[in-house]
Amino acid sequence: MSSIPWPFPKPGDLFGALQAKTNRRVRRWARQRQGMDAATTRLRPGRVYILPTGVGLIFGLMTFAMLLGSMNYNNNLSFVLTFLLIGVGFVAMHQCQRNLVGLELMFAGADPVFAGQPIRVRIAITNTSKSARHDIRLYADRSMSETADLAAGESKVFVLPIATAERGWVRLERFGVRTLFPFELFRAWAWLHMDIRGLVYPAPAMEPPEPPPTLLAHGHRQHDARGEEDFAGLRRYHPGDSPRQVAWKAFARSGQVLSKQFSGADTSSQWFEFDAIPVADVEMRLSILTRWIIDADRKLEDYGLRIAGIEFAPSHGDAHRRRCLETLALFNKEDD
Amino acid sequence: MARPRGTDGSLLSSLPWTLGALAISIAPHVPYMPFWITGAFAGCAAWRYLIEKRRRSLPSSWVRGALALACFLGVFATYSSISGVGPGSALLAIMAALKLLETRKRRDQFVLLFISIFLVMSSLLREQYLWSLPYMIVSLAIIMTAWLRLAAAPEVTARESFATGGRLLAYAAPLALVMWVFFPRLATPFWAVPIDTSRASTGLSDTMSPGDISSLSLSDEVAFRVRFDGEIPAPRDRYWRGLVLTRFNGRSWTAREPSVSTAAQKEIHVAGDPIEYQITLEPTRQQWVFALDMPLSVSLPRSFMGPQQQIARSTPIDQRVAYEAVSFVDYRVEVDLPELFRKWYSELPADTNPRTREFAQRLRAAATDEQAFIDAVLQMFHDEEFFYTLEPPPLGSNPVDRFLFDTRRGFCEHYASAFSVLLRSAGIPTRIVLGYHGGELNPMGGHLIVRQSDAHAWTEVWLAGVGWVRIDPTAAVAPERIEYSTSDATRDGIGETWGFSAPSRLMHRLTLTWDALNAKWNDWVLGYGPEKQSDFMKLLGMHEPNWRKMMLTLVGLVVALVMLISLLLMLRYRPPARDPAARLYARFVRRTGLDPVIGETAIEFARRAQRETQIPGVTIDAVTSAYLDARYGPHGDAACARLATAVSAVA
Repeated sequence: MSSIPWPFPKPGDLFGALQAKTNRRVRRWARQRQGMDAATTRLRPGRVYILPTGVGLIFGLMTFAMLLGSMNYNNNLSFVLTFLLIGVGFVAMHQCQRNLVGLELMFAGADPVFAGQPIRVRIAITNTSKSARHDIRLYADRSMSETADLAAGESKVFVLPIATAERGWVRLERFGVRTLFPFELFRAWAWLHMDIRGLVYPAPAMEPPEPPPTLLAHGHRQHDARGEEDFAGLRRYHPGDSPRQVAWKAFARSGQVLSKQFSGADTSSQWFEFDAIPVADVEMRLSILTRWIIDADRKLEDYGLRIAGIEFAPSHGDAHRRRCLETLALFNKEDD
Repeated sequence: MARPRGTDGSLLSSLPWTLGALAISIAPHVPYMPFWITGAFAGCAAWRYLIEKRRRSLPSSWVRGALALACFLGVFATYSSISGVGPGSALLAIMAALKLLETRKRRDQFVLLFISIFLVMSSLLREQYLWSLPYMIVSLAIIMTAWLRLAAAPEVTARESFATGGRLLAYAAPLALVMWVFFPRLATPFWAVPIDTSRASTGLSDTMSPGDISSLSLSDEVAFRVRFDGEIPAPRDRYWRGLVLTRFNGRSWTAREPSVSTAAQKEIHVAGDPIEYQITLEPTRQQWVFALDMPLSVSLPRSFMGPQQQIARSTPIDQRVAYEAVSFVDYRVEVDLPELFRKWYSELPADTNPRTREFAQRLRAAATDEQAFIDAVLQMFHDEEFFYTLEPPPLGSNPVDRFLFDTRRGFCEHYASAFSVLLRSAGIPTRIVLGYHGGELNPMGGHLIVRQSDAHAWTEVWLAGVGWVRIDPTAAVAPERIEYSTSDATRDGIGETWGFSAPSRLMHRLTLTWDALNAKWNDWVLGYGPEKQSDFMKLLGMHEPNWRKMMLTLVGLVVALVMLISLLLMLRYRPPARDPAARLYARFVRRTGLDPVIGETAIEFARRAQRETQIPGVTIDAVTSAYLDARYGPHGDAACARLATAVSAVA
């Protein structure tokens, strides 16, 4: 069957467009009404919205049918049942809203990820009240957190995974917190507009060119009888240091994990230069640099980075890695 | 397309409660449903539970489809209809059973809970006993708990869910009460659907064949309760008119289908004071409406008077009904009966009961007039060897002949029938009235209880110039049956001579108390209709109640109550009060004028305050040490008092 192009938008599309438009409008309205939220925000009653769910609508229809039946048969006991259910509906509505009001939400950080990985935004929710809160969940446009209960006085970290596509800062303009407690008849929710952003590193290249050759900076070798290099001092332990390097005695004394440094050690270092990569595409170059940094870091090699006038001398460790990757992530991006 | 059928035990926390909710809502239907439906539900419930417990797979759609087909065919075969409470609740039970077998996710159980609510509702349509209310509330609490279990976090125990469900139900109770009291009641229904056609009717049959069924119901079941506005009539006047039998075929008397007769009421001429009373009639699933002989008006909607002054409703009485009636003990009915009707009322089939007819004609010839003849017949019942017994011998093909001349043992039906046949043989119009006679006064409730065992049959005789006259031939045989009712006898001291022992009297009193409670329940809860509601509104001070005023009151009260509940919930979720030491210290911090830094200890803050404020160092130290003692020291209260004085020293 050949498909004839329909000159008008399909009703489904039309409805979708209308819905999207309404959503945008509601979004703007809520943002204007509520303003920007502080990093720690307590939910006031005025900003907790509530609407019946599908189950709630069915429940409403059912109680209406029961009311008609009771009226028809003039049956006073089924009137009691019907009115009890209607009463439960009213109570559920208020219970549902109160289940959110007074919660304290705090942005608790988001660790950087590579583009394409979901960034895990952490939101700590604190129940400062005397009673437990049930069935709490965070959600954003296309994601949601786990559902959890909060005992009286309890604080829990909810994780909201946000999909990422490109490097740079990713912002979470708005997220919501919702509850369906007690009977899923109503859905109470609140929108929060906090200054939440997380850093996205460039995606590591899949098939990078060979990294530039390693320059071996030979120390003056003075092997002692045991064949080891000269002891040069202690530095903080980096993950990946060999257990033999750890200064166990110092650890026993001070409780700090330190690694022994030797001056005569071979230090291999390599320079990763943005301009030296024989690829035209800027993003591709950044991806390749990212891949090289990850690999070097994994192999515990020292590396340096030169990019657009910024230079990080060859080094290693988490801080160095983070500095380098941050620079790549924000290269030529408006720092906002 | 096959949906996944495996189970993972994730329903184990909610499924038992859902099953419990279904079980408790199906239980009241069990006596009315065919056994196989209960069996099917129990089987499916147990099966589904075991599947979840052992993490098996749900039955395939073939199995479920076959089961569904079999069950629905079974329901249609049993009921041959799907309207009404009986088949409706059977279908709901079957649907619940089948739905269980395809319930895989937690949310699927919503449907099951909705079904159980409908089952509770339909059980209330069927019967409304005193205990139906507490039972309904318990059922609802279980359903609410099951509902909460659907989404409960794993750490929430069932007991907590039950407490939450109970709490929400308790909040809803005052709302329900207000709505129940103020929701305007309708006088007439929108449409009439039979409540339950699957149950046999109780009470009186509309044919009477003395001698066929040779025993009388002695059921203690209540037929109806009567509350009189004034004096309660004497036992001999307590004839409760029901249906009237006019046709005799030689063996049995039959009533005609009830039909409206506008003339019937006009034929009643009354004298004396009216007797006003309310009757609460238990469901009979028949059309007959009972009232004290002779009723002039009955307030039951859709009821009417038939040609023989019998009262009926256009639809069977399938629920308890309450109505007010006005009767007169002193009355005359149809003084001018046309010749045609006189003939019709004295018709007898030829060739039956020949001895009776011959005997009657002989007796009539010997008597001077009709009255003398009737007296002679009654005298015969009284003087000769006739016995009143509830278990008479069977009578065979000419029952009246055999009764009058051979067995001479029977109860009211036998005497009424024989008496009528004798009078008709002499050309006197007669008809037989079925109803109740007597009734026991319940001293606790002040009302009269009429039981099924009070069922009675008597005769009405048409006399020229007088009209229809009630003559009860049973009274001629066993006057005590008419003068006292059996239960009256126990109260009048006759009980002692008959050997009632003390425990049985206590039992009797308990029964009467229970009956009085039931009567109050019927009156105030079940009988809360348009009139009672209007009376109650006036009692509450509403001027000329109408539905608009009641709705406005309802809305106002509901809004007020909902606000109260909201306040209650707000208090429930307020933060715990800070301890006094923290409050005092916060006051101190405010007075220093410094902003506390997150993570700063009291000692660090004191150091900063020493540096940056003009407050004397001694005061700062006093406050800080008192605060630390109050928070962490062994004598918190004493330190708190010290803290208060120290803080007040800070300007």
